[in-house]
Amino acid sequence: MSNREQEYRELFMAEALEYYDAMSRHISELERNPADEEALRELFRLMHNLKSNARAMGYTSIGEAAHHMETVFGQLRDGQATFTGSMVPVLFGGIDTLGELIRAVGEEQALPDVQRLLDNLDRISRGEEPDLEGEEADDDEDVSRKLELSDLVYIQVRKLDHLMNLMGELIIDRDRILTLSREIDHPALTTAAAHFSRIAEELQYSVMDARLVGVGSLFSKFPRVVRDVASTEGKEVNLTLQGEDIQIDRNILQIITDALLHLVRNAIGHGLETAAEREAAGKPAQGQITLSAQAERDDVLVQVQDDGRGIDVASVRRKAVERGLVTRAAAAQLPDAAVRAFLFEPGFSMAKEVTEISGRGVGLDVVKLAIDSLGGQLRVDSVLGEGTTFTLVLPTSIAVKGALLFELDERSYALPLMHTDSVVSLLPDRFSVVGGVLLTRLQGENVPVVSLRELLQLEGDQVLAPARKATLHGRQDIIIVNYNNRRLGLIVDRFLRQQDIVVKAMSKPLDTIDLFGGVTLLGSGQVCLVLDVPALTRLFLAKRP
Amino acid sequence: MKNRILIVDDSFYMRTMLKNMLTDAGYEVVGEAANGQQALEMAIETKPDLITLDVILPDNTGLDVLRGIRQEQPDVKVVMCSAVGQEVIVNEALESGASAYIVKPFSEEKVLEIVGNALQ
Repeated sequence: MSNREQEYRELFMAEALEYYDAMSRHISELERNPADEEALRELFRLMHNLKSNARAMGYTSIGEAAHHMETVFGQLRDGQATFTGSMVPVLFGGIDTLGELIRAVGEEQALPDVQRLLDNLDRISRGEEPDLEGEEADDDEDVSRKLELSDLVYIQVRKLDHLMNLMGELIIDRDRILTLSREIDHPALTTAAAHFSRIAEELQYSVMDARLVGVGSLFSKFPRVVRDVASTEGKEVNLTLQGEDIQIDRNILQIITDALLHLVRNAIGHGLETAAEREAAGKPAQGQITLSAQAERDDVLVQVQDDGRGIDVASVRRKAVERGLVTRAAAAQLPDAAVRAFLFEPGFSMAKEVTEISGRGVGLDVVKLAIDSLGGQLRVDSVLGEGTTFTLVLPTSIAVKGALLFELDERSYALPLMHTDSVVSLLPDRFSVVGGVLLTRLQGENVPVVSLRELLQLEGDQVLAPARKATLHGRQDIIIVNYNNRRLGLIVDRFLRQQDIVVKAMSKPLDTIDLFGGVTLLGSGQVCLVLDVPALTRLFLAKRP
Repeated sequence: MKNRILIVDDSFYMRTMLKNMLTDAGYEVVGEAANGQQALEMAIETKPDLITLDVILPDNTGLDVLRGIRQEQPDVKVVMCSAVGQEVIVNEALESGASAYIVKPFSEEKVLEIVGNALQ
């Protein structure tokens, strides 16, 4: 069943059960006051809606039963008959039957036969007596009849956001209580705290779970987008969607909507060649775009893939030098992945001509900012002549982040795991100094390393002093962070531990310091600053000697 | 410019289906109203090019809403949505200025054809 069919089915069921409840209520009102006009109007309207919706879904027997019921309630409403006598049990029974039919559809069971009900309703609408023989035998069933409520609840995102915020507070308190219980070390308290902690954690995951939606709810909007853009650009495009059932926080999906739209437009506008160019290159005339999602541990990977011309790294390298983003010498040494990352720099656009679709002044830097704001990662892989893949690495949930805790000058800091590549502990002989920058070789790549203390102490126009190996004594604890395909080593005093943290926005005037993404409270009650890796990386690039 | 449409129907299911059909076809759905009062307010607020109007609504009948809307916005096109058996109301609606009507259950092609014609 397609996503949309499934959605329609769920909507139909939720509304049908609601209608059934309302019908049961109104017919009881009618029993007390057979001339209750409001109840008659409502019964007519509800039957009418149930009929229309059931017919649209192809549930013929519900449609038929509701249609016959509607006819009788229409006559009652218009005063052509009165709710009295032998029709009363038939109409009550009719609503019961509708309830059974709706439930049977919901449970995908065989639908009960409604012919007898339809015949009786026909008789009533012709002013004849219904056939009530055997009706009394249903009494046993009436006693055991269940009250059914819809299994589906619609809820405003605002309410879920509130729950999420409360949960964040609770997690902080949980850590605090656990620490206190360890300090006080009373057996009863320890047991209670451990139990509380388990429940709080379970609650946290339940709240996070309640906010999840399928990425398909966003993906399903793209076939239309692709058709429009392809026709404006005069290109032949086939779109494939994959992984629509992957679940992600609803607000994250909301935030990446524009980014994804931009990437798809870009892929068609710039990524794919025209049919003629493709055929000349020995490719099928129709270009392929794949929009896919997959779960990877705690993250969700969303990819936009095209089989177009690919990114010309040499041209990006040239342009980065022209724009003064990197020196010619340094550019020549950068690995391809690092060069492609320049595409995400503000205002760096590779479009040779501004087209209607892609050239609206927003570039990949805007996409990058949206992903950064979520603490996610944006990567681009490409093979010249074969195509380009943009990968968005997104957290499944926003409130709680995995983080690495460390100490610097006797203060605790946290770094989001999303941006942490690895931690290493290195002796001074593993470093070299090139152009005043400390480098170390990791997995065949030179990674710049900087003392986080010096980086945080910079003021105003100050730049970093050239690094000297002589200042390094003994093992250096280094966190390798990764942002925009650039790795950077941060020297810290001591690693502490890995922990889930709830990041809270900073209060003024701290919020003007953009190196910190927020604060979190540790179990000890200590405030811990959460470092913003994109900002730190940018600061290092601007202030390097 | 995309044509802007307001959907009036008391069934959430029906509104969702109509909205999907219309947005898929490139129309902009500017609002959804579930009763007559909402319909009149949203018609004034959103100034749509076309309104799809269910004939049976909880607070007023679709006919009252139709007349209310035509009084405020004589240019707006109104397509009535009805089911079999409401021919009398539909005829009255057409006399009161509705452009066309769709009979439920409707197919996507039919809806788009009728809405498209009404907007021409």
